[in-house]
Amino acid sequence: MDALTWTGSLGTVLNPLLWVSVALLLLAVAGQVLASLLPAPQMRPRPDGTLVATTGLRGLADTAGRFALLALLAVLLAYIVAGALMPYGSAGIVGAVARRFAPVWISLALVFALSIHFRRRLGLFGRLFDSTIGMIGFGLVLFWVFTALYFTAFGWIATHDPLSQLSGMKNVLPGEPVAMAPEGAWPHYLLGGDNLARDVFSRMVAGSAIVVLIAPLATLFAFMVGITLGLPAAYFGGRLDQILSFLANLVLAFPVILLFYLLVTPEIVQTGIPSFMAMVLFVFPILFLAVLLDSRYRTDRRKRWPILAVTLAVTGWLYLSLVSQPGTPVNFLHPDVDLFNIPGGILIVFVSVVFVNSPTVFRIGRGLALDLATRDYVAAAQTRGERPWYIMLWEMLPNARGPLIVDFCLRIGYTTILLGTLGFFGLGLPPESPDWGTTINDGRRFLSIYPHAAIVPALALLSLVLGLNLLADGLREESLKD
Amino acid sequence: MLRFIAGRILTMLLTALCLTFVVFFLTNLGPNLEKVAKSEIGVRISDAEVESWLARNGYAQPVLVRYGEWLGVLPGWTGEAADGTPTGRCVAQDQSLEEADRFCGILQGDWGYSTVFRAPVSEIIARSLALTGKLMFWVMAVMVPGALLLGVLAGMREGSRLDRSLSTFAITTTATPEYVSGVVFIAVFASTAVGLRWFNGSATSAMEDITFVNFTLPVMTIALYGMGYIARMTRASMAEVMTAQYIRTARLKGVRFRDIVLRHALRNALIAPFTVIMLQFPWLLNGVVIVETLFNYKGFGWTLVQAAGNNDIELLLGVSVVSVFVVLVTQLISDIGYVYLNPRIRIS
Amino acid sequence: MTYQDKVRADVHPAALMYAEEEKSGRLSRREFLTRATALGLAAPMAYGLIGVPTPARAQEDKPMGGTLRMEMETRALKDPRVADWSQIANVYRGWLEYLVQYERDGSLTPMLLESWEANEDATQFTLNVRQGVTWNNGDPFTAEDVVYNITRWCDGTVEGNSMAGRMAALVDPDTNQLREGAIETVDDHTIVLNLSAPDIAIIVNTADYPAALVHPSYSGGDPSENPVGTGPYIPEEVEIGVRVTLVKNPDHQWWGTEVFGGPYLDRIEYIDYGTDPAAVVSAVESGEIDITYQSVGDFIEIFNALGWTESEVVTASTITVRFNQANAPYDNVDVRRALQMAVSNDIVLELGYNDRGVVAENHHVCPIHPEYADIGPAEYDPEAALELLTSAGHAETEFELISIDDAWQATSCDAVAAQLRDAGVNITRTVLPGSTFWNDWLTYPFSATEWNMRPLGVQIMNLAYKSGVAWNETAYSNPDFDAALAEAGSIADADARREVMARMEEMLRADGVVIQPYWRSLYRHYRAEVMGAEMHPTFEHHHYKWAIQA
Repeated sequence: MDALTWTGSLGTVLNPLLWVSVALLLLAVAGQVLASLLPAPQMRPRPDGTLVATTGLRGLADTAGRFALLALLAVLLAYIVAGALMPYGSAGIVGAVARRFAPVWISLALVFALSIHFRRRLGLFGRLFDSTIGMIGFGLVLFWVFTALYFTAFGWIATHDPLSQLSGMKNVLPGEPVAMAPEGAWPHYLLGGDNLARDVFSRMVAGSAIVVLIAPLATLFAFMVGITLGLPAAYFGGRLDQILSFLANLVLAFPVILLFYLLVTPEIVQTGIPSFMAMVLFVFPILFLAVLLDSRYRTDRRKRWPILAVTLAVTGWLYLSLVSQPGTPVNFLHPDVDLFNIPGGILIVFVSVVFVNSPTVFRIGRGLALDLATRDYVAAAQTRGERPWYIMLWEMLPNARGPLIVDFCLRIGYTTILLGTLGFFGLGLPPESPDWGTTINDGRRFLSIYPHAAIVPALALLSLVLGLNLLADGLREESLKD
Repeated sequence: MLRFIAGRILTMLLTALCLTFVVFFLTNLGPNLEKVAKSEIGVRISDAEVESWLARNGYAQPVLVRYGEWLGVLPGWTGEAADGTPTGRCVAQDQSLEEADRFCGILQGDWGYSTVFRAPVSEIIARSLALTGKLMFWVMAVMVPGALLLGVLAGMREGSRLDRSLSTFAITTTATPEYVSGVVFIAVFASTAVGLRWFNGSATSAMEDITFVNFTLPVMTIALYGMGYIARMTRASMAEVMTAQYIRTARLKGVRFRDIVLRHALRNALIAPFTVIMLQFPWLLNGVVIVETLFNYKGFGWTLVQAAGNNDIELLLGVSVVSVFVVLVTQLISDIGYVYLNPRIRIS
Repeated sequence: MTYQDKVRADVHPAALMYAEEEKSGRLSRREFLTRATALGLAAPMAYGLIGVPTPARAQEDKPMGGTLRMEMETRALKDPRVADWSQIANVYRGWLEYLVQYERDGSLTPMLLESWEANEDATQFTLNVRQGVTWNNGDPFTAEDVVYNITRWCDGTVEGNSMAGRMAALVDPDTNQLREGAIETVDDHTIVLNLSAPDIAIIVNTADYPAALVHPSYSGGDPSENPVGTGPYIPEEVEIGVRVTLVKNPDHQWWGTEVFGGPYLDRIEYIDYGTDPAAVVSAVESGEIDITYQSVGDFIEIFNALGWTESEVVTASTITVRFNQANAPYDNVDVRRALQMAVSNDIVLELGYNDRGVVAENHHVCPIHPEYADIGPAEYDPEAALELLTSAGHAETEFELISIDDAWQATSCDAVAAQLRDAGVNITRTVLPGSTFWNDWLTYPFSATEWNMRPLGVQIMNLAYKSGVAWNETAYSNPDFDAALAEAGSIADADARREVMARMEEMLRADGVVIQPYWRSLYRHYRAEVMGAEMHPTFEHHHYKWAIQA
């Protein structure tokens, strides 16, 4: 089996096209920037009384830019489509990678087609497709979500086991054939091997599963904690607000990295403090759900108790399974009743991330609620005699959703970066974990000679966080148009 | 105003007190103390020996009492070593009990002794703060003007191509954490593999002598990540100001665009970024830790990692006192500055 | 009487025996040199016995002056006898010296001793202390000082004094102090050591890094605070964790200048780059250092690619992935055997250390040790391993492999774990920072430990595998093994020793004591201008040999 080149036979046609379109795009962008610095175009009246705007350099650059971008996109699409259709190997690494991602492309295309078609009926989400930035961001995020989903659920996309080491594949360059391949193994390391002869491509894919699972979930938990505390702080004010705000500022004043170092060291884990923190923090989602439902069905006697009982039973069991971990001081559930155990470091990392994020969410939630509390519909609800929790959760919260969703997207990005930081310092996550922070840290040692092992996860992380930021930007822009 | 500041300072002191207690508590948990004992007298000691060592060195008292001693509001412990010589928190070698001070905590200026670096904590913190101060100075010198320029340029014509390009750039930098950009910078500009070798990938020599070659990469790595955020805030603020009534009036009057931006808009547009820049300090600490580790520059962040990694209790406490202080002071300045710059806000 | 005969007349009979063994190929040259010089032969004479010309000591002219900047962790300095890192010793080597010095080629060079002789059964050693040596405070160096230091070494009551174990033949086991009558002072420059049991290693042991000689005025603690010593350098700046600087002592006439030449350098700077080799690569690329302390694993190639000179020394340094038999399930020999069998040492060497070494055989005796007996490679059979594990009832057990976060050690453990996983063993990995790791390194159930080279195979067995010794991290306790070890410690001819050793090796393997994947060669890299600073098998820095071209 030969080594793969980057683009194989596909490259002879597409590579020159790619470079030309990239060069054009860069020229056009430079032209646009220059043009923006010049004075705005003058409107000149024509003798017949109509106005004409001189297009000049600016117009030219605009048009050129649009076409260059379209050309570039077309070339990139050609790489993916041709790569996925051509027989394995003839389209090089790019082709093979594109082909591995085929399920993701199909899902992406479907989601986009459906969403664009029905966008008028989809509210804020639908309006996202009016903004190019938002669409690009959404695409990037969705790409990683599908990758993680298909990898976790079906083991698709990855070509090798992310932890297994194959002899002879240490630090190999992208496209290297697997030496002495076991029966049925994928014949190449598409993006090369890392320092321990593991497949970089598969590790990147497996890493996405960890990041895409933990980051949003941790952010969601942080939001539930922050909002459950932030809304009443703003609504009731007084002593409660003072105490909670003080506590939030306390955590915020703590340098994040110091906090992690204090929480994640083996000695502290041994004392069980992170487990106890998990016990406290994970109560909030239950509380949130219970209060949410209770305030809604308070008046409906028939539904109130059954709904509440079911919710509490299900979430309570989940909570107990989550909190009780063998090998930590908090371990009370019998293994038969314990639904699942989160592997070692992950729970601790999760708790730390939630803990660090919650106060910021608290501040945002509180700020929004302070603003909304003065609105007329709140006063109306109060005169109607609604209970405070109903007003907070069913009147104010829905109206704060715009800024909260935007912040949620941004915060997932921030959490991803934070997880990477933890991995970078070797805190928390297990050492062989394929998560991106850990792999970047492992790979950076050999940066001078074998850059691929660090660059691949670095670009993956960059693209996901960039996607989240663009998505947030798009959402903000669209929600401001309300 | 005075009342406001006094209130803020009071809250700040309370916060500092709470935070140092948390750090004190976490670093003084059982397993950590055991680690200290083992690193002081050797790893092969029995549990009973650990106990007696801890008791002899004043670690057996309740946490609150020891916290008081560390603060300097309670008298330091005294005891006797195995050979009968008096020992104590405040008793130096070859000193008798009478000669020694009764109190020796942080309030008396005694920060303790670092077990990792074998030197007084105050000395180490002074040394590392000086180094980080230099780093921060250059980061600020690059980041703030750069970010303001980006933000103002992007915000003065919202929605223009220039705005789009600059905003995308700003978003990209905020999406690139230090450990990604630092790694890429070293690979591209400092490694032999790429071969440019314009700059140094290690800033150790910058501790003595800062040069363009050895300091550019660490400064750029931190500055770039922070820059995007400030630039976006500036842009938002600028864009808002540009739609304000008085700017519209000026434009309709026919004032030149450049004059509008420079004379009328800029001043008001910079209020929000000012607070952001101040609040950026605690964030920068994060970056400082990563960058100092990556570039082996032995400043404050590096000291933090060493202290935390080796459970050097007194150094860790010193480091947290300083960092908490920095965070709180910048918050205070940001609050005061906001009030001072923005006449619309009145304090009752 | 020819010259050759005259030489032979004063030579220790055992040394002659060794020479015969070396010639007939039963003893390696390296081992011969260590053994013969340990019995009191000067290195040139030892070479003469086996008919090999003494390798020319670097005769090149070394320039005087200059500064050498070396990357090295600068750890807190300690009383030399309790020093637990070579790096600590390398700092005080600037002003403290040793009785003898272990060289790269395996021979011993007399330093503060001029010569020594052993009696026939190696129970009595006569030490001739070098004349004309002064401390840098002006005091003359005499036999008194040597006695003072040996007494210090023999004090087993001092926590962490590893010299007491090395001087066991001089220690009174009841008081844990120097045995009465163990040292006789003959005159100002002669002393006699009376050993309680034959010990050929006692002189080699005084070359070990904790055996630096201190001035009687030294009161413990950081030796750099009052740097009185016999050596040519003094510390100028000691910032732990940052840098340590040694400068040539202008007020001291060093005795060695006449004997060896040197010291050449004006200044030696040790700069701390932490434990991450990547930081060192950056330092090299930035021109901040002239020489590395040690280059490991993949970084060897990186430094070669950067065009630095490589210096390699083949050693018996190794990593042992060991089981602590006091902990379940590792108290079950089948579990240990199964885990051993599931690991191919070749692959660990390839992935963990880039094939920069020699595959080892799970018994911690190295082919370069004189006693080494070839009992074949370690068994590798992952399927049989899983069967054995299943029959022991541990097929589902989750094993945890702990290692330090040091680059090559963690990598090697990752490689071991990956193979266990491939064999179907349920294994997790834990990596601990150095500060945490060393606190419990003796008691982890399953972890990896780095072992430095000891010149003799029996030295390592005595340190690590004898029942109940301080560094017995495997909790291995086998009376047969202990008996065989005692037998191997006395002088016998090479074949008999090898026979005993073969038995010990078999025992270690049959009991599944350690997975010992490879012997690693040690490497160092430096700029082309650096001279005389080749890698040393036990990481010793002989500052007086170092020089740098302007």
